[in-house]
Amino acid sequence: MVELAKLNAGLNDRSRRQARLRESAVSLGMMGPAVLLYTVMTVVPVGVAVYLSFTDWDGFSTASFTGLDNYKHLFDDPSSSDAWYVTALIAAVGTVLMVGLGLVYALALKGRSRSNSFFRAVAYFPHVISALILGYLWAAILGTNGAINNTLAKFGIEPVGFLFDEQFALISLIAVIVWAGFGFNVVLFVAALQTVPAELLEAAAIDGASKRQINLRIVIPMISPVVTVATVLNLVGLIRAYDIVVSLTGGGPAGSTQTFTYLILARSFEGTKVGYATAQAVFLMVVSAVLALLVTALRNRQDQAATS
Amino acid sequence: MAPLVMASAVACGGGSDQASEGTTLRVIVNITPNLTEKYWNDLFANYEKANPGVHVKLELTGTISADAKLRQDLAAGDPPDVSLQIVPTADTASLFTDLSDQPWLAKTPLADQYTIDGKHYVVGVGEQIQSLVFYSKAAFEKAGLDASKIQTMDQFTAAMGDLKDAGYKPLQSAGQWVTGSQFSMMADAGVLTADPEWTAKRNKGEGSFAKSGYLPYLQHYKNWIDKGYLEKSALGLTYADGQTAFLNGKSAMYIMGSFFVPAADAAKKSDDLGVFTMPTDGAHPSGQFGNMSNPYVVVNKSHHKAEAIKFVKWATTDPEAIKSQLASDGNLREGFTYPMSSLGTSVQQILDKAPSVLVQSGDSKPIAGFSDELNKQIQSLYTGSSPADAADGLDKWWNSQS
Repeated sequence: MVELAKLNAGLNDRSRRQARLRESAVSLGMMGPAVLLYTVMTVVPVGVAVYLSFTDWDGFSTASFTGLDNYKHLFDDPSSSDAWYVTALIAAVGTVLMVGLGLVYALALKGRSRSNSFFRAVAYFPHVISALILGYLWAAILGTNGAINNTLAKFGIEPVGFLFDEQFALISLIAVIVWAGFGFNVVLFVAALQTVPAELLEAAAIDGASKRQINLRIVIPMISPVVTVATVLNLVGLIRAYDIVVSLTGGGPAGSTQTFTYLILARSFEGTKVGYATAQAVFLMVVSAVLALLVTALRNRQDQAATS
Repeated sequence: MAPLVMASAVACGGGSDQASEGTTLRVIVNITPNLTEKYWNDLFANYEKANPGVHVKLELTGTISADAKLRQDLAAGDPPDVSLQIVPTADTASLFTDLSDQPWLAKTPLADQYTIDGKHYVVGVGEQIQSLVFYSKAAFEKAGLDASKIQTMDQFTAAMGDLKDAGYKPLQSAGQWVTGSQFSMMADAGVLTADPEWTAKRNKGEGSFAKSGYLPYLQHYKNWIDKGYLEKSALGLTYADGQTAFLNGKSAMYIMGSFFVPAADAAKKSDDLGVFTMPTDGAHPSGQFGNMSNPYVVVNKSHHKAEAIKFVKWATTDPEAIKSQLASDGNLREGFTYPMSSLGTSVQQILDKAPSVLVQSGDSKPIAGFSDELNKQIQSLYTGSSPADAADGLDKWWNSQS
C-alpha cells in the first residue's frame, strides 16, 4: 500500500514536472519573438555602438580599434565640457520646473469639470506637436525680427535678447522646453491623483486639515511613485534635448545653448567622427542610466524612511 | 535576422536597378532656395531626353548633409551612383571613382586645386567666390563714399563710421552659421593671400591663430562690435532674415559669397546694389576665398559606373547644363556667360581681376568641425570675449581635435 502511494506520488511529481516543463516551453515560445526582436533591435545596436566607441571609424572606411582614446578625448575636448554644462543646467532646472509646475497645475485641476478638462488639454497640447516645429514657432516669436521685438520696435524700444543674448537665450530655451513638456507631467499626475481614495481626503477634511495640509501631507506622498517616474523621465529626456535647440537657437549664440546631443549630432557625426560621436553617445547613455538609478534609489530610501 | 532586416531595407530603398527599360542613376542632390527639387528634375530631364533608357532619380538628403546621406546608403549596402556637394578628402578618397583618366576633366574649374595625391576624384561646374562686400548704392551716396577707394581695413572701418553717421546700420550680420562664415570670407582673403599654405601648416601643428594674421582681423571685428557697426541683435536673425534686412535697405553693407546675386536678382534689387572686393591689411586686390560649385563625385560602389561617369561629364561640360547651373546659383566659369544682372557682371569683373582663388581642400582643408567652432568663437566676441580669447579658443579647440 505504501509502495503504491509512493508510486502515485512519483507519477504525480513526474506529471507536475512535465506540466511545468510544458508551461515553460510555451512561455519561452511566446516570449521568443519579443526577445529576438529586442535583441536584434536594441541589444545588438547598443553592442555595436559600444564597440564602435572604441574605434576611430569615420563612417566610411574600415574602423580600427583605438582603445579608450575616444573616452579620454571626451574629457580634454573643450566643446564637450561646455556642452555638458549647458545640458546639466537644462536638465536640472527643466526637470524641477516641469515636475513642479506639472504638480501644481494637476492639483489645481484635479476635480472633474469641463473647464478642468479644457485646461488639461491646453497644457498637453504642445506635447502633441513636434518639438522641432515648436522651436521654429518660438523663434518667430522671440527672434530679433520676431513678433515681440517687432511690437517693441513700434514703441521705439530696443530689441530684447531672447535669442541673441547668452543668458537670455538659455533662459528662453529652458522656458520653451518647460512650456512644451510640462503638460505630459500634468496628465501623469492627474491620473495618479484619481487613485487617491476619496474617503481618506474626506476623513482628513473632517479632522480639520486645510487644503494645503491635505495636499502636502496626504496627496503628494501618495502619488510620490508617479512623481519619481516623472522626474526620471524628464531628467533623461532633457539630457537628450536636441530638437528644440536646433530650431530655436541652433546652439547659439556663441555656443551658449549647445547641448551634448546637439554636439554629437551636429558636429561629431557631421564631422565624420563617427567613432568619437558614438563614444559621446555611449557616455550619454551611461550618465542617463546612472541618474535614473540614482533618483529611483533616493526615492526608495525616502519611502523606506517614511514607512519605518 | 539582421541580414534579413538589411536585405529588406535594401529592397525598400529601391537600389540602383538595371531594369528592362534601362538604367536608373541615383544622384544625391543639394536642395536650397535656389536649387529646388523642380530645378534638378528639369535640368536632368534634358539628359534623359538625350540619353533614352536612362532615368535620373534624385536622392534628397532631407535635414542631413550629402556626406551623411552617402554614409547611410553605403552602410545599408545601397550605394547611389553620383553625389553632389561632397568634397573627398585623403581619408575618404577611396569611396569615389578616380576620374584622372577622363580627358575632359582637365578643363573644368579648379580641377587641379582639388586633387588628392595628384588624383581627380571630384569635378565641378563653376566657381563660387566669397570675399565680396555688397553695398547699398543709396547709402554710399548719402554717406559720400566711393566704393572703389575702400581697399584697406582701416578704410573699411572709416567707411562704416561714415555710414553710421549717415543713419545706416553699417554692416549686416546674422546668427546661425552666418557670423563665422562672414569672418572667414573676410579674414581668409587677407591671411591666405599672404600665405596660401597657412591652413596646411596649421594642420601639421605649425603656427597658431594667436600668433597669426588672423588676430588683427579678430581685433578689427571686435572694434566694429564695440563701435556699434555690427549689432549684437543680429545674432537673433536667421540667414534669410539677415539677407532680407540688407535687401530691404536696413543696412548698408553685407559680406557674402557670389551666391547672394541670385537672391538680389530675385528681389529685383540688383541695380540698387554694388559690390567690391574684400579690403585687407595686405595686398589689394587679394585672392578670392572660393570653392568649386556643384562638385560631382562618382561613387566607387556604383553599379553603373560607366553611365555615372558619362552623366557627370554631361553635367560639367555640356554648355547648356553648365549655363543653367551657373545661373541658378550665381556661379562663375571662365569662357561661359549667361544673362547676368549688373550685380552679377560686377562680381564676374572682381573674379577676373583676382590674383587667385583661395581654396580650402586637400592638405589645406581645415580640421572637421572647424567652421562650427569658428562661428562659436566669433559670436563670443559679441558676448564679451576679447580677440585674444577667441584666438586662444580656436587654438585650444584645434589642438584638442588633432
